[in-house]
Amino acid sequence: MSSDTIWVRRPTATPAGDVSAPVFRLERPLAGCTIGLRTDRAWRSWRTISAIWDGYLQRDGARTIAVETGAQVGRPASSDRKQIEEFAGLVDAAIVGLGTCGSCTTFTIKDAVTVEEHDKPVVAVVCEEFTVHAHNVARHVGHGDMNVLVLPYPLEARPAEELEQIARDYYPRVLELLGVTA
Amino acid sequence: MSIASERVEVPADPRAFYERAIEERWTDGLPLLPATDGAIEALLQASPYPPDHVVCVLPPVNGVATVELVAINAAMAGVEPAAFGFVLAALEALSEPEWNAFGLTTTTSSVFPMLIVNGPSRDALGIDYRASCMGGAAGRGSMTIARAVALCIRNIGGQRAGETTKSVFGQPARIGFCIGEWEERSPWPSLAQRRGFSAADDVVTVHGGKGTFPMADIHNDDARDLLYLIAKSMAYPLANMFLGNVENGDVVVAFNPMWAERFGAVFPDIDELAAYLRENAWQPIDLWPEANAKLLRERGRVDGRGRVHLVERPDQIVPIVCGGLGSLHAIALPSFGESTMQSKPVTRAS
Repeated sequence: MSSDTIWVRRPTATPAGDVSAPVFRLERPLAGCTIGLRTDRAWRSWRTISAIWDGYLQRDGARTIAVETGAQVGRPASSDRKQIEEFAGLVDAAIVGLGTCGSCTTFTIKDAVTVEEHDKPVVAVVCEEFTVHAHNVARHVGHGDMNVLVLPYPLEARPAEELEQIARDYYPRVLELLGVTA
Repeated sequence: MSIASERVEVPADPRAFYERAIEERWTDGLPLLPATDGAIEALLQASPYPPDHVVCVLPPVNGVATVELVAINAAMAGVEPAAFGFVLAALEALSEPEWNAFGLTTTTSSVFPMLIVNGPSRDALGIDYRASCMGGAAGRGSMTIARAVALCIRNIGGQRAGETTKSVFGQPARIGFCIGEWEERSPWPSLAQRRGFSAADDVVTVHGGKGTFPMADIHNDDARDLLYLIAKSMAYPLANMFLGNVENGDVVVAFNPMWAERFGAVFPDIDELAAYLRENAWQPIDLWPEANAKLLRERGRVDGRGRVHLVERPDQIVPIVCGGLGSLHAIALPSFGESTMQSKPVTRAS
């Protein structure tokens, strides 16, 4: 050290998430499977898209279970997380959304983690603006390899026909990420 | 005392050090003090915990906040050893699950930890609770404790604008917000006492506040009238509390001491005052356009008289007393909603 320099200590922490939990694939056809759909009370657009996917899944032979969350703390959140825990135990695979705000993306990933912790395939659905954030959250909670499906942004304020088209366009990709086979 | 964190050689010149801190992304944009071993050790000696004690895990990146790492950030903020326990208490509070740090540090909202200090050390440490306490009073304790907490969230939690936090606007308090309560001028027990602590305890309460929402009046001397208007103002139609669950969230409302005296004469029991505020903090459902009104109805937010209350319970409205004697003003610290304020006592080395 010269007289022109001093020593200090680095103030930053190493981010968590060097190791990623395993991801799972269905590796079978949809027929006879139970697929979960998790919606968020906040997002009307996501209700529309997930309702369409629910119909497609049933058309393709799956049973579906839908749950809707809407809280992050307090008694309502305890109830939501308990419901997600039960949901994760019942389904063969799940579609969890929607990440289209900061905290709802965080909780989308957290609820998707619950499904992965049951060794089940899951797809976390987020909008484009929140893609990096979703991957960051997944990595920092130790699930960096989680399947994340990115939908266009914004979804809110789009006419119903556009949402229906988006649902049609992205459905095959959902099945692919879940590992559905022909 | 052994310090384990990585040593970094930096310029001794203050301006050159500032440039280096910007390059390293250690700073919020303002100059920092160098975290030398001497400065860090002085803080560590003021803590009852060993340097490797884990205070909390801080989101968004889930960095592990050891006492040592917190001390490094506190040293950069200029925290006095006697004030270090307040930084630790604040971090302990905001890492309680019901504060929802993961949600609040990543949200699109402007929300940030707002610290409210009670207890006997306010004056000695320079905790601002009188004139301009929410910005401009320049108390060392308020400014450095608040900034140290903010630096911990940035450097340990990894909160970076546009990267790990999606906050659309942020807010000035993201550099730090710490006020005291003017307990001596309050007609009611202090916030900390109401939350179960003794008047002799130094306590930090952390509120997830979206900003400072100012209110003013010069036309009405009646306490009930004024509180009615405050309640109505707090219930602004686009408040977060109307978006989510009515039973979650706390709204802090700061009364200046002159108004507090007037209110205390009519409501000597602060629970009754909070109940009065809750009772009047509503808007008629007809205020909202149909798209909003439909959802409020679906979510059971509309009562039999067509009123949409801001909060479900009186305890979700949290009055405090602070500010100058110029009267005329109140400030609400609106809630994110999905967060519950937390309080922790300050602990020190024996």
